[in-house]
Amino acid sequence: MTRLVMIMDQTRCIGCHSCTVACRTWNDLPMDITYNPVVSEGVKGVFPNVHENWLPLICMHCENPPCVPCCPTGASMQEEDGTVWIDSAKCMGCKVCINACPYSSRDSSHMVPRLEQYARKCTFCKDERDVDPDFTPYCVKTCHQKARIFGDLDDPNSEVSKIINSVETVRLLEELGTDPQVYYIPNRGGQL
Amino acid sequence: MKRYWTWPIAIYLFLGGLGGAILFLAMCLYFMAFPIELFIAPIIVSLLALGVGCFFLVFELGQPTVFYRVFLRPTAIIMWGATLLSIALIASFLLLISYWEPFAMLAGARVPLLVVSGISGAAIMVYTGVLLASLKAHPFWSTPALPILFFVSALSTGCAAHSLSVGKLLESNPELVERALGIFHSVDTGLIVFELMIVGIYLGLLIGAGNVVAKKAALKWVKGDFSLAFWLGLVACGLVIPLVFYLMGSEALGVLAAVLVLIGGLILRFLVVWTNDMMLIKGQQKYHDRLPKGDEKFLQIYKEHAEPRYE
Repeated sequence: MTRLVMIMDQTRCIGCHSCTVACRTWNDLPMDITYNPVVSEGVKGVFPNVHENWLPLICMHCENPPCVPCCPTGASMQEEDGTVWIDSAKCMGCKVCINACPYSSRDSSHMVPRLEQYARKCTFCKDERDVDPDFTPYCVKTCHQKARIFGDLDDPNSEVSKIINSVETVRLLEELGTDPQVYYIPNRGGQL
Repeated sequence: MKRYWTWPIAIYLFLGGLGGAILFLAMCLYFMAFPIELFIAPIIVSLLALGVGCFFLVFELGQPTVFYRVFLRPTAIIMWGATLLSIALIASFLLLISYWEPFAMLAGARVPLLVVSGISGAAIMVYTGVLLASLKAHPFWSTPALPILFFVSALSTGCAAHSLSVGKLLESNPELVERALGIFHSVDTGLIVFELMIVGIYLGLLIGAGNVVAKKAALKWVKGDFSLAFWLGLVACGLVIPLVFYLMGSEALGVLAAVLVLIGGLILRFLVVWTNDMMLIKGQQKYHDRLPKGDEKFLQIYKEHAEPRYE
């Protein structure tokens, strides 16, 4: 079994938005859609000891995704490896999955023709992984700070499983019971 | 954040609840020994409401060409809604054409058809609320009180539509119509009181004990952006004034009250659909607020026509 997960190292992220740009360029996204915004949690501390926390967001590829069972058409699916994706030919664009996602990871564009406004989301670059199973998503490849780490959690020798099993990580909106599979290494401003 | 469901969904939730409630009430009154013929005009209204609601539902889709796929996954609330809508539409349509000469062979099946459409109508009323309440990303919607509020509001608008149209076709026994009108007026009075109570509990609990997002959303109704629509539109015009009119008991005021109840039901759906506050991750709102707006069209055209620089 494989379980593809991503780790966001907030201690390394500098908020350069390279991942946002790489994603929208390689996936040729419409102009009004961003799969992975990098938001700021705000500036913390008192001058001169200040730091800014960057929070790279992406689809959490939840273990218990709220967006899959609510889809009436069967277009929204979860793969064996845990990733969630949408078959655009099957999606009828009812937008219920967009409203169901607590992380606002799904979107549908207004920049495409009126009859092709299906829901879109990050798929961990599924079309590339279908060709080459060892492919890492473009946002991970482009991150020069190595703040994004991608891999198989079920493989005990992978980097992600070593980090998740040894370092304290947090997940976003865990209280909703979605079991998100993107782990964050929180930035505590240089303190442990 | 962006609003994905707008006026087509609000109107659809209203019309679906209205149509379902009319069918359910017609079934209830049939079992209280009223003839089906009395409810022909209300059932036509219900058929129109459900049909127009379905049109808005399909109109709102991003890819309407594959709308038939809506029936494919039974875990989805929308799949059940579409199925129930289809059942109610077909059953009430068959019930109506059984009064037309070429389809007289359906006359024996009127009671089962009425029961089927009544039960599916009741389920549609609940479904309109459950659809929103199942979305746990929206703390203002995902409370068990929302389906109850929508159910009671739908029943109330159904009573109003019945009292406006009952006995207008086929059956014209004035005594029966008078009795039915009396029942609808008294039931609607009770339902309005009940709805006022539920609205109070719903907002009160979210403000008092809801999480941050739900509290903010509920305060929008009470003293924020939507306070005018809430206090003047929903509470005053949609609930309190009709209640007073019903209690005064004159016939003209009864008609006015029914119209006001229908408007109030529509305002309630718009208010709820427009309050789409989501669970927000810290900083997400700020990021989306700062994105440039209005340049998308220019950028899209630029992207299509610009010379490729890196090949």
